Amino acid sequence: MADYDALVIGGGHNGLVCAAYLARAGKRVLVLERREIVGGAAMSEEVFPGFRFSVFSYVVSLLRPEIIRDLDLPRHGLHILPLESTVTPLANGDYLGQWSDHDQNRRELARHSLRDAEAYDEFGRLMYQMARAVKPFLSMAPPDPASLAPRDLLGMVRIAKQLRGLGGDRFHALHKLLTMSAADYLDEWFETEALKATKSASGIIGTFLGPRSPGTAYVLLHHYMGEIDGVFRAWGFAKGGNGSVSAAIAAAAREHGAEIRTNAPVAKVLIENGRATGAVLENGDEIRAKLVVSSADPRRTFMQLVGPEHLPDEFAQAIRNFKFRGSSGKVNLALSELPNFTCLPGAGPHLRGAISISPSIDYLERAYDDAKYGEVSRRPYMDIVIPSMIDPSMAPPGKHVMSIFVQYVPYKVNGGWTDAKREAFGDAVIDTVAEYAPNIKSAILHRQVITPADIERIVGISEGNIFHGELALEQMFFLRPVPGWAQYATPVDGLYQCGSGTHPGGGVMGASGRNAAMAILKASR
Amino acid sequence: MLKTTPFHPRTAALCRSHAWRRWAGYVVASVYELNHEREYHAIRSSAALFDISPLYKYSVTGADAARLLDRVATRNVARASVGQVLYTCFCDNKGKVLDDGTIAKLDERTFRMTSAEPNLRWLGDNALGLDVAIEDVSEKTAALALQGPSSRAILQSIAASDLAALKYFGIVATTISGIEVTISRTGYTGDLGFEIWVDSRNALGLWDRMIEAGAPYGIVPAGMLALDVARIEAGLMLIDVDYVSARKALITRQTSSPYELDLGWTVNLDKGVFVGKEALSREKHAAPAWQFVGVEVDWDSLEALYLEAGLAPQLPSAAWRTSVPIYAGDEQAGYATSGGWSPLLKKYIALAHLRSEHADIGREIEIEVTVEHQRKRAAARVVKKPFFNPERKRA
Amino acid sequence: MKALVLGSGIDALVTAHTLARAGHEVTVLGKRDGEPSPHTGWIARRVIANLDLERHGLSVEWPDPWVSAPLPGGARLALWRDVARSADEIRKLSARDAGQWPKFCERMQAIAGVLEDLYGAPPPDPLTHTPGGLIDLARDALRLRKLGRQSMDDFLRLLPMSIADLLDAWFESDVLKGLLGAQAVMHLAQGPRSGGTAFNFLHHHVGSPAGVFRQARSNVRDVLSALPGIQRLEHEAARIEVQDGGVRGVVLDGGERLAASLVVCAGDPRRTLLDLCDPGCFDPELLRALRNIRSRGVAAEVTLTLARDPGFTVLALAPTLDHLERAYDDSKYGRASSDPYIEARHEAIKEGAHRAHVHVQYVPYALRDGTWDDARRDELAKLVIAKIDQAAPGFAASVLGHSVLTPADLEHRRGYPQGQPYHAQIALDQMLWMRPVPQLARYRTSIEGLYLCGPAMHPGIPGATGANAASVILRDLKKSK
Repeated sequence: MADYDALVIGGGHNGLVCAAYLARAGKRVLVLERREIVGGAAMSEEVFPGFRFSVFSYVVSLLRPEIIRDLDLPRHGLHILPLESTVTPLANGDYLGQWSDHDQNRRELARHSLRDAEAYDEFGRLMYQMARAVKPFLSMAPPDPASLAPRDLLGMVRIAKQLRGLGGDRFHALHKLLTMSAADYLDEWFETEALKATKSASGIIGTFLGPRSPGTAYVLLHHYMGEIDGVFRAWGFAKGGNGSVSAAIAAAAREHGAEIRTNAPVAKVLIENGRATGAVLENGDEIRAKLVVSSADPRRTFMQLVGPEHLPDEFAQAIRNFKFRGSSGKVNLALSELPNFTCLPGAGPHLRGAISISPSIDYLERAYDDAKYGEVSRRPYMDIVIPSMIDPSMAPPGKHVMSIFVQYVPYKVNGGWTDAKREAFGDAVIDTVAEYAPNIKSAILHRQVITPADIERIVGISEGNIFHGELALEQMFFLRPVPGWAQYATPVDGLYQCGSGTHPGGGVMGASGRNAAMAILKASR
Repeated sequence: MLKTTPFHPRTAALCRSHAWRRWAGYVVASVYELNHEREYHAIRSSAALFDISPLYKYSVTGADAARLLDRVATRNVARASVGQVLYTCFCDNKGKVLDDGTIAKLDERTFRMTSAEPNLRWLGDNALGLDVAIEDVSEKTAALALQGPSSRAILQSIAASDLAALKYFGIVATTISGIEVTISRTGYTGDLGFEIWVDSRNALGLWDRMIEAGAPYGIVPAGMLALDVARIEAGLMLIDVDYVSARKALITRQTSSPYELDLGWTVNLDKGVFVGKEALSREKHAAPAWQFVGVEVDWDSLEALYLEAGLAPQLPSAAWRTSVPIYAGDEQAGYATSGGWSPLLKKYIALAHLRSEHADIGREIEIEVTVEHQRKRAAARVVKKPFFNPERKRA
Repeated sequence: MKALVLGSGIDALVTAHTLARAGHEVTVLGKRDGEPSPHTGWIARRVIANLDLERHGLSVEWPDPWVSAPLPGGARLALWRDVARSADEIRKLSARDAGQWPKFCERMQAIAGVLEDLYGAPPPDPLTHTPGGLIDLARDALRLRKLGRQSMDDFLRLLPMSIADLLDAWFESDVLKGLLGAQAVMHLAQGPRSGGTAFNFLHHHVGSPAGVFRQARSNVRDVLSALPGIQRLEHEAARIEVQDGGVRGVVLDGGERLAASLVVCAGDPRRTLLDLCDPGCFDPELLRALRNIRSRGVAAEVTLTLARDPGFTVLALAPTLDHLERAYDDSKYGRASSDPYIEARHEAIKEGAHRAHVHVQYVPYALRDGTWDDARRDELAKLVIAKIDQAAPGFAASVLGHSVLTPADLEHRRGYPQGQPYHAQIALDQMLWMRPVPQLARYRTSIEGLYLCGPAMHPGIPGATGANAASVILRDLKKSK
């Protein structure tokens, strides 16, 4: 009866990872992608002739090394080039650099504070240990603390053992990381404003919280996560843009026998007798499968594709309360020449890394203040990279592409998003960049501005939240997306989730897709 | 982009080998000539001049300066006299070594502390509530080490003070050709030697004066390769090579207490409260699990292993800094962390960590050697450190 | 055994009396503090029972309505102890919210109950290896599981949330959300959109009946002060004497020396350990941790003497969550809120005299553009009076006099570090085994015989903290016998 063993709704990187693992295990898998290309938010596009962009997500942060190995992604064209540095221009014309070479980094920090230069290493060591402590949790299906099933009880015991095994210092440090604000946490370590601000920025990305709000410290860890896999400087660019990550995973999935259909938007999940049995496409086609896996975000999955009528009330209510609140936007630029930063003139190595516009905690906090009341930050936090410096094939010879990640750009902007508002936001971004790199305005050949509303419209993520739901403590681990339903299964028999809205979520990591595939395979055994 | 020391204009001109090494963010010469042989022999036969400016140096002054240092060091700083230098460990609250270095008492309220790693934050944290000023003078202060049998004669020819009166681990403020310096009778070679501390701005003048005065005595600028051989002969350990600072250790097993590093003699449990005291007194009563010892490889056994492969023993001329397993019977008894051929003693020696039950002097053990890509074990013996200890060092 | 207790607040007295009842000879050191009576806060049942406070005249009073707020057009929203009556009032604003109210009150009460259990004993130690500790842990875990899925999920999910998110999920009325949100930021340097404010809300709900989200008032301070059985000395300690790792006594501000091998301090731990002891006695990691305790005071106390009854029991001016958030915004950059959150409690003093105790938040400890002086204090009082007058016309005319205590004044007068009455801010990273820092969470210090019993200790609720500290001390004394 069933056409396939599994249907995967959505061809973003998590959907593809899940499909590839299922196919690798011998399942007949079909991926249904709404758009004409796969990748979801991890895609590259030649937006302007000759200029290729990672339109949405633009760095490869934590793509799990086991996925790269298991799916043999380099053979399918994946090559991640390292991101070497982060430079924060300061208002006084100076800058703060964080470099990959230890000695160079220490020397630069010592220029701002000798104490911070020393604290940096100790901080790094603690984060490394914390990351090691957290890592096992990333690749497990979170046990349900309220369940009495032996598997959950065992899982809880394992977690308890793991945490207790950390010993006092690290256990308490982990407690602090989970509950503190990034600003307070960093205050305990550092005195240089720009250093604290730049580090804390990683804690606010994709959330609707300011750096002083508790719950923002945890994400500091993510920056150190790569190192424990032996992949130093795990933050990098995929050659060819983030679309090549998706393309490589898609190729691996196909090689294992998965079928991928683009231009195939799903209208509804077919539910018969309380069981998911396939999907109905927008064109009316019905495709049947033994099980359905959705990589769409939880709200889209349950409120649109499934429909609350098939769900327990409590569950539906919990999904409604799941916070999205997209807060970030992008500005992609095609440039005729490199930006010339006043603090570091010329084409130095800093242009091969990130430029972070985060001069102080107050700066970030003020940016948040605007957004809280429904406005785009007048002076936003920005993470700027120039992929063509690392991969020249992204732009015509001598020309460049620049990617500007911007926060805060609220989804619910006062009066709603209009074209005029979008362009005004773009102008505000360029004006702020021009304060640090005055030649930027004359160097711009083309400009693409993306708001959370655009992300929702184009990629299909609710409220344009890049993580498929905020990475806040109350929406993580066994609470993601709903307590009791954090193990990829859903209240609908035969329906699974594998998107970023499930544990661990966030970033081009692929762990959700892989964990979901593992859970499905375990259940079908 | 690496930092250069205040002597760099001179050392760079001399460095014919173009072999440089990183040390605490600076570049220093590994070896000046094409190999380090002459530089090594100068240490033991005439005098060798080292640029040791990358050491971290702190000036600690104020009414509570001694109290602060007593709090962080294992030795008794309060009892030190003016003009005395103490070699000491710095421990964390678990009694594990963070760093080792020296504390020089320059006057009643002024000390200079040297260490291998930065310690400003650590000192600052321990200074809470104390009347003390801590300044990182690492960049302000340049330093040279003049080591070898002729070192005293060379220095005496240019220094304003009588150096015969300067005892082992003493320090004196004086001038060299009008340049203000402090001279301490300390070093990292286990030989007669001195270290000269000077304002960075006067560094080049001092270098030139020393080279000039040393020429008749056969002074040789020497690099880190030569120093490494000499310090192993002297049984002196090196941070990051022979032990891991508790600050950098990722797991507890990587940390060591002073007792485990054969530095129990630096721990003064009779003085007041200091960081790590409680843990150290516990450990002293329980006896340490590890010992840091000298190991001498049995030459005949080594020769036999090479002979099997049809070779004569082949040893690298420079000291090695890798972890090498040591066995007692079938059991791994520990590991050597640095070692090499002593050109003076004509012995193959190593510094090693052994479990206490295998660490008695004279104990027969085996050390791993790789002969023609094959792992073998050569017979070896635990011996007393230092391997070389000339009387002139203290005389 | 001879024991000295430093401090004269509720926790110091509870500790002192508990020790005295166990047969120890207790002297309490400290000038009677300037803390206001009546006291606002929950008094743990255990404390009342153990010290027989009811027989000694304890009276606990719940204002009813427990809060009222002005509504546009001059009306007021009043919330009562009676849940149904509150729901009726809320119906004026939103039928949906009125329908939610009873369920909300019940759910919050359930979670506060979990906290209440945790607060009634020294904090659990998740890293313990002792059989007793493991049993305690298992008991806590079991207790949590017994709650059932919903309350357990609530407990785990709500604590890190922002109160704005919590309330938005339940209610639509801005006025109601503002009133409830105010409790969640009480004495906290955070706004209602900050994570962890839901926890502060629940923390302050502990001990209150379902549906009451403000704390009771009592004369507990007076009752404890009058309780016989201890000696009191109106002197401050200048120094704690330590020898060979053990406490030996206390030197008074006059230079007199009192010997004791048990000293319990109710003061803020940073001051106790760094100023009264030789900081050299402590581990540098502890010193670092002490320095990092967050104790930001954010509220001023304004006391107004009134010519007549102001016509409210408790009047809160926190009309929306955004209002609170904007008030917080000012303080982030070192300014006092231009439109602060104001809550005035009426107190009738004898012979027709009246007073209003006004909580004003956010008022930073340090101003970025100057210092607190009388002119600025008067300005604050004027602002407060004008704001209340808008909500209760004629109020300004009834004001006979005012006094203002800024966070800096509160530090000076009452020893609140930076003006923070809980000494260590109530936040998830400074609670339970983390309060105030992990090394001190068991009330013991590394100096034998020196204990802490002040508000900075778990749970940070006056009385309950002192009782927990005393129980640990008594247990230790028994063990050492």
